[in-house]
Amino acid sequence: MAIDYLPLLILVITAMIFAAIAIITPTIFGPKRDNTQKKQPYESGMIPFHDARRRFSVKYFLVAMLFLLFDIEVIFLYPWAVVLRDLRWLAMAPMVFFLAVLIVGLLYEWKKGALDWGE
Amino acid sequence: MSLPEMSALFPTLQEVIFVLFALLIAVTSLIAAMAPNLFHNALGLVATLFGIAGIYFMLEAEFVGVSQILVYIGAIATLITFAIMLTRGMMFGRTSAMNRQGLAGAIISGLFFVVLLGIVFQVPWPNVVADITDGEALIANLGALFVSTYLLPFELLALLLLVALTGALLLARDR
Amino acid sequence: METTLDLSTLNLAVVLPELTLIVFAILVMAADVFATPKNPAPRQWTPWIALAGVVAAAIVNLSVSGREVTLFQGAAILDKFAVGLNYIILLATGLGILLSVKYIPRINKQVGEYYALTLLTATGMMMMGAALDLITLFLALEIFSLALYILSGLNRTSPRSTEAAIKYFLLGAFSSAFFAYGGALIYAGTGTTQYYGIAQVTAAGLANTPLLYAGIALLVAGFGFKVSLVPFHSWTPDVYQGAPTPVTAFMSVGTKAAAFAAFFRVMLVALPFSYGAWSMPLALLAVITMAVGNFAALQQRSLKRMLAYSSIAHAGYILTALAGGAAEGADAALFYLFTYAFMNIGAFAVVMALEEMGAEDAMQDRAKGLGKTHPIMAFLMAIFMFGLSGMPPLAGFYGKVLLFEAAVAGGMIWLAIAAVAFTAVGAVYYLRVIANMYFADPVDESADEVNRSLPLDVGLAIAVAGTILVGVFPGFWMNAFQQSMALFGG
Repeated sequence: MAIDYLPLLILVITAMIFAAIAIITPTIFGPKRDNTQKKQPYESGMIPFHDARRRFSVKYFLVAMLFLLFDIEVIFLYPWAVVLRDLRWLAMAPMVFFLAVLIVGLLYEWKKGALDWGE
Repeated sequence: MSLPEMSALFPTLQEVIFVLFALLIAVTSLIAAMAPNLFHNALGLVATLFGIAGIYFMLEAEFVGVSQILVYIGAIATLITFAIMLTRGMMFGRTSAMNRQGLAGAIISGLFFVVLLGIVFQVPWPNVVADITDGEALIANLGALFVSTYLLPFELLALLLLVALTGALLLARDR
Repeated sequence: METTLDLSTLNLAVVLPELTLIVFAILVMAADVFATPKNPAPRQWTPWIALAGVVAAAIVNLSVSGREVTLFQGAAILDKFAVGLNYIILLATGLGILLSVKYIPRINKQVGEYYALTLLTATGMMMMGAALDLITLFLALEIFSLALYILSGLNRTSPRSTEAAIKYFLLGAFSSAFFAYGGALIYAGTGTTQYYGIAQVTAAGLANTPLLYAGIALLVAGFGFKVSLVPFHSWTPDVYQGAPTPVTAFMSVGTKAAAFAAFFRVMLVALPFSYGAWSMPLALLAVITMAVGNFAALQQRSLKRMLAYSSIAHAGYILTALAGGAAEGADAALFYLFTYAFMNIGAFAVVMALEEMGAEDAMQDRAKGLGKTHPIMAFLMAIFMFGLSGMPPLAGFYGKVLLFEAAVAGGMIWLAIAAVAFTAVGAVYYLRVIANMYFADPVDESADEVNRSLPLDVGLAIAVAGTILVGVFPGFWMNAFQQSMALFGG
């Protein structure tokens, strides 16, 4: 029943409200002293030598892709796991094929060196 | 107030929650489509997907809701963020979401909305498609369907993922 | 709802040709992985492994033909129609691979991925014709579309190729959304995604009509993008021009065949009882498509763009048969697409040979005087152009006759007349290429080099043989595609 999720919703809303308070309160009541020292990422420590927003290596994209694919795969494992005990091999065989195709993809990416960070 | 007492209030409460989610979806999807900063567009999209997950929960499609959160908010949002960070020039400056065809686009989407609205008023509600089983039985049903009636789409999905992986290799590898 | 597993309905024969292709795609990947910088030989085998896969799948296809079985209470079906489509897709894939052998390594070193993706694309396309459930259909559509988005962006150093990939991807994703929305509304209107189930519900008058009709409209829009009908055609010229030419050749035929096969099956098997609602809109779409495609093709300076607009016009011709709503329309479309595979891929192969090194396109000027400088190429191009214009006795003629007959059989005589008129308009730009080749002087003497290679020559030979032989002896193929579709209750 959807009503069962009401506490969850209340929790989410409470968390949002709390976060909002934690952000808004200091901006209203906190002291503000503007000077160059304050604008440094660290008041003491290393002097930044580069813009923090630099272009990432495209390798991250492949990692993110892999994450997405195996995330989807995991989603499909849940309902399958629920029926595995009843259906046994009838459920096992399709999932083996499903995973085999994905593992082929993973092996291919691995062997092509897409996961080597290298230099 | 205990939960059973609350469920006496249920119809109105459900409506309130629905309206809240609908508002969230409407506002954040506008952000996703129109905000001048690409990163804000992406965040707006994530919030939209979250709102849609909420609607799924209200429709008692818990599994779809959880999948939505895991896949769309977990993985696809990450992928979009990466894609933005990988692209030179998109991290900096403003990327306007509008071009010369903004007005034409607005008119056509407006017309599409009117047509959909017309259909909504035409349909003799309620429209019951199938009996709904709840909770764990639903997920078990889903699992059984994956390995029987929908075996072929299930395996095709693996193939689709393989295509995506190979394609990513082809497009996104350093040479 | 309790699902029981009935293993007797697991007819793997339905997907055996597709499975063959998947196995060979994995073999291509394996060969690609075994290639090292020291020993690159296995990578050079990949086109031949892919080609072997196509041949093997065709043999498997032959061995499973002649039956009519469904897989798992109707997720997919193997009938004459699906078998016929498989042949068309395999033909297009085989010719596409022949065209690619020398071309692809020039623009992208990752040939292993290319051939693996080509085979997986073909798998998705073949599933389109076999699908008997909207969910199967959607996944098949996504498999081949996703692969084609990537293949059209294969030339990563060319801005045009990248533009083609982005444009194709964005508009394709948009159309997939329409498609999914339409499918969902049809499910909402009928309570099932299976074609036979939809037909049953609509026949009994139990469907929720507004939802069903909205679903049909969105589904038509989704198909319209894929086969490039006119209000949804804007991606076609740019993608056809920007994509590497072998990919364009393969996808111009493959996408059209797969999407039209699925379109015919959805309309004739799942929605025949809503015929009154969709026949007239489709007829109007066909007229607009033929008009815009033919008149825009008249004005193109680039050969690839001209062929792109011509492919839009051809989509219009095929749609006339669907608008007629007769079952013979499906047979006619299949025969037409079969001939189209030879003619269109042949034409793209000639364009490919005419391209200058590093360019991804050839202009009309390039064809000028070809009759003198390269008589064989000019002759082949002339055959393909005559074929595409529908000149007897070449293959395109009988295809058009069958299509327009199907429109007449459905009671749309005016549509058939319009189609014949537009065919006459279309002849102008095909014949102009021929006139340029034989009656004009070469524009640029220095650029008269033609990029030929053995695989390309083989591909051209197959294409021209098909264009002539299917035209001269059409009977056998017409029989092969006759009464192909397993209709609801039929």
